[in-house]
Amino acid sequence: MEPMTGRAIFEGFRGAGFRNILGLGFGAEIIYSFVIIVCSLMIYFGTKELYELSSYKGIKYFRQAFLFFAVAYFFRSFIKFILGYFNIKEIFEFSPGVFGGFTLFLFMYFSSIAVFYLLYSIMWKKWNGDSNKIYLFHGLALIIALISAVSRNPLAYFGINVLLLAFVALVVYAAYKHPKNKIKSHNLYIIYLLLFIFWIFNIIDILVPDFLQTFKLFMYLTSSGIFMIILYKVLKNTGK
Amino acid sequence: MARRGKLEILRDILKIIQDNGNSIKSTPLLRKSNLSSKRFKEYYNELMEKDLIKNIENKNGDKFIFLTEKGLRFLEKYRAIISFIDEFEL
Repeated sequence: MEPMTGRAIFEGFRGAGFRNILGLGFGAEIIYSFVIIVCSLMIYFGTKELYELSSYKGIKYFRQAFLFFAVAYFFRSFIKFILGYFNIKEIFEFSPGVFGGFTLFLFMYFSSIAVFYLLYSIMWKKWNGDSNKIYLFHGLALIIALISAVSRNPLAYFGINVLLLAFVALVVYAAYKHPKNKIKSHNLYIIYLLLFIFWIFNIIDILVPDFLQTFKLFMYLTSSGIFMIILYKVLKNTGK
Repeated sequence: MARRGKLEILRDILKIIQDNGNSIKSTPLLRKSNLSSKRFKEYYNELMEKDLIKNIENKNGDKFIFLTEKGLRFLEKYRAIISFIDEFEL
């Protein structure tokens, strides 16, 4: 067997896997995930002092939601990396399959719980601070993650996401009926609804990769924009 | 709204201590806070638990209440906390 020269090793690194990643615009994926993870972590750590001083539950659920968004986006980029590197279309094609399924399970769990925590941050007072609902949300997120990881039917993904969106829209509408400040609330709920809609596009992008091929860039830019608007509002109000 | 009221009451108690030269006995603090003794005790315990105030006894055995560093920081950041809660309808 011929010993590998430095050049051969270098060529190896520039092999199929890396070509696939570059060919799929992985740079854009990395920048997109990086922006969202950084925004989410800045929101989480930027509100740390406000929570430590006040121990206010609404702030607690709000910041935890963004921590979960950061974790979910980390798993999202990890799945994208596997898809790109091994040039496969679906995470289930990855061998060993259990590993792909488990990554998908974690991604779905953290993404669902992030949405639920953000909802709970605006609804906890209206639900009389009943913290048992948190366990219910964890249970729901677990079921959603299990169905997504076990079922390989795109219709099941769509069904879950449509139900999730309907639930979110209903809760946001209920919260919007009695706002403290009509204009401010209107803007906030539009931002939240857009965040949830684009979050679902992100999930579909992972589960059915070809579905959103044409307007992927638009989705990345809009999603990043939504997170940056929320970060701007946080920084403005925390005085940082 | 109830919780917002609670934060306001905590701020008011801390402000009374600060305005009194950061040292006050519990009886005048109770009087100035306009709370029933039962509710005052609840808030007092919460402030102690959250490390926003501390209790120091002098040589004569008189107990004085002081603001901690965290208590001072709470007063500084109170507006930011309320503005944040309002902004995100939390």
